[in-house]
Parts: sequence; C-alpha cells; structure tokens
Amino acid sequence: MVAFCLAWSLAQVVMPQTGQEEKARQITSDGSFKSHLSWSPDGKKLLFTRIHKGKMELCSVDQLQGSKVEPLVQPPPNTPHFDGSWSLDGKQIAYVHDILQGTDGKLQINIVNADGTQPKVVIPHKAFEESPRFTPDGQKLLWVSTRDGNQEIYSFEITSAKVTRLTQNPGFDNNPNIRRDGQRVVFSSSRYGNFEILSMNMDGSDTKRLTNHGSLDIWPSFSPDGGKIAFTSNRTGNYNIFVMDENGGNLAQITNNRGVNNFAAWNPSGEEIAYISNKNGAYEIYIHSLRK
Amino acid sequence: MLTLGAKTSIPVSRRGAIQIGASAILGMSWDRLLAQAPTGSAKSVIFLWLWGGPSQLDTFDPKPNAPSEFRSPFANIPTKIPGVHFTELFPMLAHRSDHFSLLRSMHTQSNDHGVAGTIGLTGSIAGAVGLDGNPRPGQARPTLGSTVAKVRRMQGGLPSFLVVGGKLHQGKKPIIGENSGFLGASCDPFRLEFDEEKGTRVNALDLGQGLTPERLDDRQRLAGALDDIERKLQKGASPWTEQMQQAYALLLRPESRKMFDLGQETPAMRDRYGRTRFGQSCLLARRLVEKKVPFVQVNWSDHVEAEEDAGDGGWDHHYRNFQIMVDRHGPWLDRSISTLLDDLRDRGLLESTLVVAVGEFGRTPKINEKAGRDHWEHCYCALVAGGGIKPGRVIGTSDARAERPAERPLTPADLGATIHQALGITSEQSQSFGLATGGEVIGELF
Repeated sequence: MVAFCLAWSLAQVVMPQTGQEEKARQITSDGSFKSHLSWSPDGKKLLFTRIHKGKMELCSVDQLQGSKVEPLVQPPPNTPHFDGSWSLDGKQIAYVHDILQGTDGKLQINIVNADGTQPKVVIPHKAFEESPRFTPDGQKLLWVSTRDGNQEIYSFEITSAKVTRLTQNPGFDNNPNIRRDGQRVVFSSSRYGNFEILSMNMDGSDTKRLTNHGSLDIWPSFSPDGGKIAFTSNRTGNYNIFVMDENGGNLAQITNNRGVNNFAAWNPSGEEIAYISNKNGAYEIYIHSLRK
Repeated sequence: MLTLGAKTSIPVSRRGAIQIGASAILGMSWDRLLAQAPTGSAKSVIFLWLWGGPSQLDTFDPKPNAPSEFRSPFANIPTKIPGVHFTELFPMLAHRSDHFSLLRSMHTQSNDHGVAGTIGLTGSIAGAVGLDGNPRPGQARPTLGSTVAKVRRMQGGLPSFLVVGGKLHQGKKPIIGENSGFLGASCDPFRLEFDEEKGTRVNALDLGQGLTPERLDDRQRLAGALDDIERKLQKGASPWTEQMQQAYALLLRPESRKMFDLGQETPAMRDRYGRTRFGQSCLLARRLVEKKVPFVQVNWSDHVEAEEDAGDGGWDHHYRNFQIMVDRHGPWLDRSISTLLDDLRDRGLLESTLVVAVGEFGRTPKINEKAGRDHWEHCYCALVAGGGIKPGRVIGTSDARAERPAERPLTPADLGATIHQALGITSEQSQSFGLATGGEVIGELF
C-alpha cells in the first residue's frame, strides 16, 4: 500500500478568488502544441503530449529547469503516442499508442518504464482505448474504451487481464482520475447533455454529479489529499482552470485570462497546479502556486 | 552562368533568369477578354480549406434535440443571429456572427476525400481520383484559385494565386484538382508554407541551411542562397520551372521577402491569430491580400488525418473526434478565423476580401463506435464573410439530424460560382476558358 502522508495540507493553501489574476511561472517555451499533463510522483518532472514537427509524442520536462524537453519513449516510435500517466511509485508510465493502418488508426494501451525503455502493450486494441490511469497500488489500470459502443470507463487487472466495466450509459464517460486513497474516481460525462464532472467509487457505484452548468467541464484531477478537484471549464467563455471541493462546493477560479487553459495537474504536495495555456501565444506549461 | 534544366537547354545568367521570371509573372500575352479587368464586390479571396471535413453538428449546425447517438455532446451557445446557435467550442465566432454568413445545406457527390476534394476545389467531379484509384470521367478542371489567376493577373511581380500550406493528400495519394489543369503552369498556385521553427518556406526553392525569405536579410546571405540554388540547378537536380523562376524573382525583391516575413507583425498580433500553423497561415494570408493578391488558399493541413504528419492534423476524425475538437481543432479554428475577420475589418480590407471556410464534406450525424464521426457528403456547412456579401445570414437549412439539406441545397459548384461572381468573373468569361463551374451563384449572399 502507498502511504498517503502529505507534509502539506490544503488547509494552508490560499485559493484565489474568482476573477483574480493568476500567478504562474512558465516552464516550457518551445512553441509546440501540448496536452495531457501529468506530474511525476517525486515532483521533479512533468509528462505531457507534444505535437512537434507534425509528430505527436510523449515528452517530459524537468519542472525546475524547464527548457529541456525530451521525448519519453526510446527509441521514439514513428506513430502517435499520447496521454501518459505515472504509476504512484514513479517507476512506470501508461499511455495510448496509435497504430496507424492506412488512413485510420487503432488505439491500444502501453506501459513503459519511467526512463522510456521497454515499452509493451498491456491492453491490445479491441476498440478505441484511451486515458490509462494506474490505481495507487499499481495493480490495475482504469481506462476509457468504446468496446461497448461509446466511451465508457473500465478497470483492467494487470496480472490477470480481467476487465470490469464501471460506467454504463449512452453518454460519453472519459477523463478518469483516481483519488490517491484508491477509493474514488472523478471523470467527465456527457450523460446530462453536455460534459459535467462526476465521481464514483472504484467499482462504479455511488455516482455523484459534482458540476451542473451549461458549459464544458472536463479533465478533472484530484488533489493529493483528495479534498479538492481541479478541472477545466469554459463557463467564462474560454477555457479556464477551476478548483472545487470534492463534493462540488466552494468553487474557485485559478486561471483568469483569455487563452485556452487546460489539463490541470497537481504537484505531489498539493501546493502547485501545473496546466497548459496559450495565454501568451503558444501552448506552454505553467505552474501556479497555491502557497500563501 | 545558370543552365536551365530539362525544359530548355538555353544557358542563361542569373540576371537573365530573373528577367525570364519577371516576364512569366507579368504575362505578356493576353487575349481580349483578359484585357478587361473584372470588377466585382471583392478584390481578393481568402479560401480556408478545412481538409478532412469538419462535422456540421459539432461546429455550426448543432441539433440539440436529436437522439443522443447523433447530437453533439457540446452545449449550444447563442449567436448574434436570432435563433441560430453554434456549439460552445466557437464562442468567438458566435460573437462575430453578424460579420459573416453561413451555408448550412452544402452537399457533394462523394464521401471519398480525394473525389470530394477535387469537387470542392474545382467545382467538378471530372478527373477526380479516389482511394479506388479510378479516375472519374472527364478532364480535371482547374482549381478555383487558378481560374482567378487566369483572369486576375497581378502586376508588380507577385503571383496572383498563392497557397499557404503543403500539397494535399490522403494516405500517400495526391489530390487531383489542386493545380491549374489545362490552364497551364502559369496559373498553378505559388506555394508558401508556415514552419513553426523557421518561418515562411517557399516550396519551389530549397534555400538550404534552414533559410526562409525573411532570413535573407542581407545581401551576403541572399547571394549565398541564390548561388546555392544555381549550383543545384547546374547539377541538373531539377528543371528550371516557371514556379522556380517566380520564386527566384520574388526572393530578389526586398518587398516580397518582407511580405512573407511574419516577424514584421507584432508578437501580440501573432498571438491573436494563434500560434498554430493554421493561425499563422491565416496571418500570412492577410499580409498577402494586403498586397492585393487576388486569391490566397490556406490549407488547414496536408493530410486528412488528425494524428498523422503535417502540422496541425486534418479534420478526418473517425476516432477521438470529440477530444480533438475540445483540445485542438475547436479553439484553433474559432480563434484564427475570428482574428482574421477582425484584422481584415480593422484594416478596411473585409469589404474587399471574400473569406470562405469550408471542407470537402461533413461528417456522419450518427456517432460511430470509435467516439468519432465518419465521412458524410450529404450535408455540411460553409462560412462566408466579407467581399461585399451580406453578413448575418443563414442560407439553407438541414433536417432534424443534419443528415440532408431541408431547404436550398447548395453545392461546391454553387460556392465556386459565387466566388467568381464576387470577384467579378462573369459566366461568359468562365465559359470562354472552359471554366464554368456548372453551379449557380448564391444570390441571397449579395
């Protein structure tokens, strides 16, 4: 089991008031489009997807040194691979690999060592497989698949390959993120007509609707202590990062600019939120401090 | 001395080559029809080619009351046109909907990118080749821009038809209908390409060493680049084509190098367009029409697929449609076109510049089992702005699921005829060149 002792409590974090201008430092500056941000468990690296020179690939950057963006998988595949996430022990990364066939592609889920070596398939293409997330004990992956007709969330036991379907409804269910105690999952769903944030138990029970707004609410992410959820919403007209309590209350706006701000990722202490924004032109990674 | 390639064996100096290039550009022999400069409501066209085919339901024709397996998962937002809604991915365009008009009943004859692409670019299926490899009957027609280039010759050394973007393809197959066809090479598009690292590339000339026109900022570097081109030509690596002559002549002119140089714009302006290939290409298009280029085509991507090579990736979202729309294509298109319209208006150019944004077809109203939408030729949208057309209108309607036109069905040929009309190219002129699109002008736009 993973210990959940956090040296820092969100009680000490200052949440900005709605409309307040954010304070954030820029990490990358290569000008390429980026998405799918994930913070390494040791807090040293940020993993993300980059489209660079026409190729879509997983990259990492040292969050302190910033400028050195490096492809993750070695040797770099020629086909698109994206949406990576770390195992909580920091040793592995799960990601989506797109096997191009003719003018179409087939998505599968791969795992690679954190140093980019030994990529291997764990969930072969059956339908369109996306957004793999390790459970905190590293025994399972939650991921999104269209194998039953539309996007649903499933769990996959890595040793036995047992698949369990967690969501069942005609809407899209995607963008899963697991609380560090391994008890709850937060995700996006279009079951109410547009994308909202929901949470559920790890077995798919006890689903709760956390947002109720006629706009796009996507890419939710639990804070390390599980008390807060960061997510993207366009309720201000453009995409901004918001934080709310795990029950959907106490909403605070983190970014406040006219760009696209997306893919919030907490650092391990919960003191900072990284996100991707084009507020200064190109899509770059920024880190917003929640410290007093 | 520069030796011309396979097309001719006449030895010629660089200066001589430049003179040939200039002569080709200026076009010294025109027939009587061409002597009459056409007058229309537009002086220029910016044709935004959304290669791959955007979904009508996820962009400008949402159907919130359609069954869940059809309707977009995105919320609807009102526009400035009463009763007209877009999806929430296009708030900037919704806010500017009184600056453009929308065609919601476009349809075409094929669901093959190659065939529909040819129809979209030429107005005709003649000569189109799809994935089956079989040419459709008839000779391929010139692309819209080449027709304009035939009639609207530029003075002063600039080509009259420029494409910003690479050559279109699906899979590894090129698309018929991108070029001048029987009009001849002088009406072929002159190609530029925005490169995120280097700037503007002139595709006809390999300048080597990462050089782009804007980097040829001193005589020494320019001379070096031209010498390099000459050496390659002397080795017989490629024939001395008219395109190369044009490019060569353009590079010698500081004003044209400056025109291609996006560094002349403020960083804030470049940011407004979006730091994507399409956004920066739109900005380049604005710079070109500012210099009175009659027809500029901007290709969203080279390839139809979203995840493959070629810049921003196309609109062919068979899978991951909704994720790609949220993360990339929606915000990018919204920002780039909105800024283009604002920028043209602010500079007093919108009234004289017709802006058209359209793909080769739409996408299946029914969502497929890959969280995507497939090809759909029966119904799609086009956005039309400026150039003297009436804004704030919706022409044509689709049925309850955006599957078929319900009223006023429109074709790419109609859109082509409308573009000609806006530029003042009469049907008589078109017919005299064998260029009639077969479409009817969309009169409600004027």
